[in-house]
Amino acid sequence: MTSTGVGRVQRAPLPLPLWVAIRYLKSSRRDAFITFLSMTAAGGIALGVAALILALAALSGFQSALKEEVLSRTPQIEVELPAGTDPEVAREAVQAVGGVQSAQVAVRGRGWLLARGRSRAVEIVGYGSDLPDLFPEATSRTPGLYLGDGLVGVWGLETGDVVEVVSPIPTLTPLGPQPRVRRLAVEGTFASGRAEQEERLALPLSEASLLFGRSAVHRLLIGCEDLDSALEVAGNLPAVLPTGSTVRTWRDLNRVLFFALRLEKSLMFVAVFLIVVVAGMSLVSDLTLILASKRPEVGMLGAMGAPPSSLRNIFLWLGGLVVGLGALSGLILGVGGSWLLDRHELLSLPSQVYFLDHVPFLVRARDVLAIVGTTVILTFTCSFYAAHRAASLWPVEALRR
Amino acid sequence: MSVSIRARGVRKAYQDGERLVQVLDGVDLEVQAGELVAIVGPSGCGKSTLLHLLGALDIPDAGTVEIGGQSLAELGPRRLAAFRNRTIGFVFQFQELLGDFSALENVMLPGRIAGKRSAWVEKRARALLEEVGLQDRLGHFPNQLSGGERQRVALCRALFMEPPLLLADEPTGNLDPESGAQVFDLMLDLQARHGTTALVVTHNPELAKRCGRLLALEGGRLHAERR
Repeated sequence: MTSTGVGRVQRAPLPLPLWVAIRYLKSSRRDAFITFLSMTAAGGIALGVAALILALAALSGFQSALKEEVLSRTPQIEVELPAGTDPEVAREAVQAVGGVQSAQVAVRGRGWLLARGRSRAVEIVGYGSDLPDLFPEATSRTPGLYLGDGLVGVWGLETGDVVEVVSPIPTLTPLGPQPRVRRLAVEGTFASGRAEQEERLALPLSEASLLFGRSAVHRLLIGCEDLDSALEVAGNLPAVLPTGSTVRTWRDLNRVLFFALRLEKSLMFVAVFLIVVVAGMSLVSDLTLILASKRPEVGMLGAMGAPPSSLRNIFLWLGGLVVGLGALSGLILGVGGSWLLDRHELLSLPSQVYFLDHVPFLVRARDVLAIVGTTVILTFTCSFYAAHRAASLWPVEALRR
Repeated sequence: MSVSIRARGVRKAYQDGERLVQVLDGVDLEVQAGELVAIVGPSGCGKSTLLHLLGALDIPDAGTVEIGGQSLAELGPRRLAAFRNRTIGFVFQFQELLGDFSALENVMLPGRIAGKRSAWVEKRARALLEEVGLQDRLGHFPNQLSGGERQRVALCRALFMEPPLLLADEPTGNLDPESGAQVFDLMLDLQARHGTTALVVTHNPELAKRCGRLLALEGGRLHAERR
């Protein structure tokens, strides 16, 4: 016993407030209640931090998958050309701009697909030379009609089957307005996006021009090295485009979605952060109770000459240690839990309903920093109340029994 | 090393519900450097209050206290704390040892507060505890020590900084007669050897008579007491 106790003497001494704070935190043998309270407060903080990391990681995972899904079907840059512009001239001008890797003329409009007695409203995309990247996993590269594999599967269509594509713009004939209909053979399929709201089909530009006639608005679908460079390149395009052209980046095309995702994440953060707020309150009561039970000792330290700042720092260190312990445990629990859940795909989803078959977890360093930073600032601030009370105690008040 | 104490017209009152209790009502006190003075009086007469005021643990409603010529009223909280650390050693009835620190660590605390060198602090604490016969109890925690042992640790802690003034509030009040006598003997011995000015508040008339001078606190004032 003697050797153990003597061995506790600090050879390289810690600052006095930290020394006392550590002893108060480790006082399990002599005052288990205080340790229990401190551990409860630390546990609350850990729970809050872990819950925040897990919630935001799940949200980030979902959002990342959703963004990937949506962006794979969105042009990096889309230019809407004014009526009367020669799209080929514009395409060549754009192709010469630095950073542009591909530029393709396209038209876009709405219509109907008819086959086997069924009909479906669709978005019709007329493409130039090659099937654009907006139609991933195409079964063929030959120019022709491409349908989403989801619709083909449901309708029981096969390659080579003839379907009808109907334009909403009629042709005026002596017999009155007649719908424009193109009968086309299915050339291939592409992977339907499960996150998509509307069915799409792709057909050659020549066919699309017949369907939309002169009212067709020509567009340029532009590809760059990556999403970030696309934002940069977009700024250089108006200089080479005819007046009246509208340039939209992938960000503009999905502005509402991205805003909704950001809002969702912010609201989730606020809601789950309430756990940390409760843990902060628990820390205030914990430190106040410790101060009440250690009052004569705090008074004695004052009587021995410890200045008010040292007495305050004891409780700031104590709060800091509880907060640090809680935040670190929460960090390990949250990041470790997210990794495990993602790695082993432990939370599965019905793939027929969702575009994913499991809940993905993506831990972002920025989120973790925000969570830990906000938690530490808020909960550490809670320590100031007890610390201030300790510093303002007159030794005689503390020593009075 | 020792200091003189000089108190003039010290007054202190407490609010007890609606009633204002005037505990000290113009206390005058003069203690010479190196003197050992006992203060006696019935419970609740204000002995501890007077000791707290003389020890810079509290401030009087009126009057002045000077320790070694230094007026306590002139010192702010921070300088007052440093003054207590250097100048005054306290021994209380309930020892007020820190429960999470060993006997050795408790004795080291005043040195740590003063920011003294760690090796020196430990060496001195060991020497003091050996001086009072606790060399085998250095690593024991207060709840593992007897009342007499705890009070001896408290005495070592009070004398750690070699303060010129020792203030003891009922140092034997919580001990059995035998332990009380032993602790009191030890305190007188250490006081004599260190040449410290000492003020002892006690209920025990036998122990009080062993001090150089005896004062009684009655009606909020001090009176010289016959032996």
